[in-house]
Amino acid sequence: MLTDALKKGSAEFLVLSLLESESRHGYELQKLIESRSDGVLTFNVASLYPLLYKMEERGWIVGRWVEKAGDRRKRYYRLTAAGRTTLEAQRDSWREFVTAINRVSGVRYA
Amino acid sequence: MHDWRADIRARLAPARLHPQDEAEMVEEVAQHLEAQYADLVPTVGTARAREQLLAQLRDQELDDAIARRRRLAKPAAARTWTTTTSWHDVRYGLRSLRRSPGTVVAGVVALALGIGLTTVMYSVIYGLLIKGLPFEHADRIAKVLHGDPSQGDDRVRYGSFVRYAAQQRSFEALGAYTLGSANMSGGDRPEHVQIARVTAGVLEATGVRPMVGRTFAPSDNAPTAPATAVLGYAIWRDRYRADSTILGKEIRINGRPFSIIGVMPDQFRFPDNHDVWLPMQTDGSALPPWEGPLVGVVGRLRTDATYERANAEFATLSSRLSVDRPNGTPDWRASVTPYIRAVLPPRVYTVLNAMLAAVMLVLLVACANVANLLLDRTARRTREIGIRTALGASRLAIVRQSLVESTILAAIAAVVGTLIARVGVAWFNATLVDMDHPFWMDIRLHPPVLAFVVALAGLASVVSGLLPAMQSARLDVSSILKDESQNASSFRVGRLSRVIVAAQIAISAALLVATGFLTRSIVNLRTIDTGFATTDVFTAVVNLSTRDTVRQHQFLDGVERELAALPGLAGAYIGNGLPGYGMAHDVAAIEGKTYTREEDYPTARTLAVTPGFFPTFDVTVLRGRGITAQDRAGSAPVAVVNQAFVQRYFAGADPIGRRIRLGGPRSEREWLTIVGIVPTLFAPSFGRDDRWPPQVLTAFRQERSLLSASLALRGPADVTGAAPIRKVVASVDPEVPVHTTMSMDAVLDEQMWGLNVFGTMFIVFGIVALVLSAIGLYAVMAFSVSRRAREMGIRMALGASGRDVIAMVCRQGARQIAIGMTLGLIAGAAIVRAARAALFEVQPNDPGVFALVVGVLAGAAFVACIIPAVRATRVDPLVALRTD
Repeated sequence: MLTDALKKGSAEFLVLSLLESESRHGYELQKLIESRSDGVLTFNVASLYPLLYKMEERGWIVGRWVEKAGDRRKRYYRLTAAGRTTLEAQRDSWREFVTAINRVSGVRYA
Repeated sequence: MHDWRADIRARLAPARLHPQDEAEMVEEVAQHLEAQYADLVPTVGTARAREQLLAQLRDQELDDAIARRRRLAKPAAARTWTTTTSWHDVRYGLRSLRRSPGTVVAGVVALALGIGLTTVMYSVIYGLLIKGLPFEHADRIAKVLHGDPSQGDDRVRYGSFVRYAAQQRSFEALGAYTLGSANMSGGDRPEHVQIARVTAGVLEATGVRPMVGRTFAPSDNAPTAPATAVLGYAIWRDRYRADSTILGKEIRINGRPFSIIGVMPDQFRFPDNHDVWLPMQTDGSALPPWEGPLVGVVGRLRTDATYERANAEFATLSSRLSVDRPNGTPDWRASVTPYIRAVLPPRVYTVLNAMLAAVMLVLLVACANVANLLLDRTARRTREIGIRTALGASRLAIVRQSLVESTILAAIAAVVGTLIARVGVAWFNATLVDMDHPFWMDIRLHPPVLAFVVALAGLASVVSGLLPAMQSARLDVSSILKDESQNASSFRVGRLSRVIVAAQIAISAALLVATGFLTRSIVNLRTIDTGFATTDVFTAVVNLSTRDTVRQHQFLDGVERELAALPGLAGAYIGNGLPGYGMAHDVAAIEGKTYTREEDYPTARTLAVTPGFFPTFDVTVLRGRGITAQDRAGSAPVAVVNQAFVQRYFAGADPIGRRIRLGGPRSEREWLTIVGIVPTLFAPSFGRDDRWPPQVLTAFRQERSLLSASLALRGPADVTGAAPIRKVVASVDPEVPVHTTMSMDAVLDEQMWGLNVFGTMFIVFGIVALVLSAIGLYAVMAFSVSRRAREMGIRMALGASGRDVIAMVCRQGARQIAIGMTLGLIAGAAIVRAARAALFEVQPNDPGVFALVVGVLAGAAFVACIIPAVRATRVDPLVALRTD
């Protein structure tokens, strides 16, 4: 199980990555994070929304009420230009971080 | 299925988010929980699923989300006021204002009056005090003062000037000048002109180049240099018909020839409304520092010099000079002051700034009116605002909307106010036409004045829009929507309006007190019995062209004889001045009395007159005799004193036969025998309260040193006037110019110009403030009555009479009026006491004026209350109870 600190640090990065290709609503994000991490990362209402609103406050993402055919009005989050830049930057630093960890620990990917 | 919304709403309630934000957050979280619940139930069952999710909802972390949500609601300008939203606001504002044209007209008229009057006042201040001299970098033109500043002592001994000029480093050009007037002849007629004798530095300091020829070089100031002159534009144009070959031609000034070397451009009259400049040719090199003529010193500071450093330098220079100062000369320090500030009396600044403050109060009253109008709209629109809020308008949007409406009103008012200001400025300039005023004064709606209008409008829109805006933002949505009768929600609006009205009444009362005293002063001034005739009296001044006493008297004999021979006159007068302001100040001594201190000597205003004084000014001799034709050079010197003189210095005892001497303690003049008593004449003077002072009339023909003579004729308009006077003087001596020709009424008017013009402006301010606050009171009363229609209906249905209702409404208004009026009267009394010097023949505690102000205000307030009150009695109980 991932520690809380690590989870918090990575959560923003995860949300940004998930919104890169399309806009999604809150529950969708929670489910995707859970399924893609095979249940290692879990969120709930109390942890997800502070994160989303924080990212919205920083101008990385924007929430909009959108009505899609056959569905009720939902609040969808999409990436802003600033969010995209942040995502790139975080990707780079993750890459560096992982490389560094690998060098130090000798862990190799298969 | 479980209703998550209620749980979430309960969880969010303590945070009191904006209704719209709260609703959105509830919806978003509810959808999330619903979806999660649906996923959980199949695996864990309904009970556990609900419990898990409710636990999430209780989690402290959610508070962080709420806090962020709140911050998201009011971020950057982009969301609160983009161009599109503000354009939308303006359109919405215009639409909603169009629906209430009454508000628009009332608001615009009030603000336009306030802005217009304030702008007139500001253009006067700008044109006279701020705009400065019409020269380049005029802020660097400064005067050097070295004397008692409280005495307006702005001159320096020429000997001191020479040393300053040699040692100083602050000025790039520094010059000295003396002022005077002279008779100019050569050309078709003699003329009286204002002359400045200047050193080269004076004209150089202005940086203005002559239109033709050159100005003075230092060599022109040498005592042996040829006599040269520089002409002003007006003389060159009028007297020499703009002759382009004028250079080198000769003019005669007081009989001496001067050769013209240059002509200055139009409007150039530096340093003090001069027409002709002559070089000062005093040899300063031999003068000790504390000797030589008194001169004005003016210069242009170097670009790198500051007033602070220049002041320090001149303080040092003057302290070096003060070592050698003669005994009894006080040890003043020289100072450097910007030109306009140095030459205008400080009183001008005080009066103009006080006027600006007063007119800003009028604007404040106007703003209060508009605030009340908008509050009234807010109150009528509580439901609209409630619905807009419920539909998602943020508080900021509501505030913005209210401010947009007041800004629209202020913008229209700025345009109308500018038109009012144009009229006001034209009026002000019209009063100045025949007045001597500083040459740099240029009162127009200059661009900075227009910028001031824009600033005023902005200020007015904020002042008048902010209270209603805050009020509407504070309205509680749910209670408005629930509140059918609208009474509860309007309560606070009503109270605020009443406070505003009380403040308005207070300001108006204060202004009205000042207005009352000024009106009283002006009425006194207009109706004053001066003690001498002013209607049908025409006056002029001649400057005597010779210093020879015998020839002076020959000339005067001739003029007196010829004037007396004019047909149809009641009298013809010659003297050394005119009654009124024109009487000189002197110190007397009474024979047989001893005075220990200098200030114990009697003071008196004096006038040397011919026998024609008494018929011309219709002054009757009360006892003894007046000045007669026998009182001439060689006969026993005589004086006629007035009643005030007798009462003050002889304690009412008969002074005839007693002797007095003029000229103060060290006087060596002759003793004058008192031969008669006249009534006390009106003789005001600037800066002194006593307008009916002791006076001494002496015989003009016994005067030793004469420089100029005032003439006056009394008779029907077709026999007096400038033409016969010019003709008579020209027939006696064609070289003597006649100037300052005007009626005696105009002479007095000119002397009272300040009180007349500024008094009239103040009266306008006072009336506008009164009307505005009466309208404000009316609007508030009318609104409150309409609000209480139902209550009135019930009262009347239960048997209250119309009188009861009227009394009730008036009682309600009476409190604001009483509070406002009391505060205003106290403030007004303080203002009037401080401005006592501006009053004319009225005491600052005159109860009559206060009574009048109370009466006028109470009358206006009564009308403002009674109309809505009477309307209240017409309420049909049935209709009132049905309204919602």
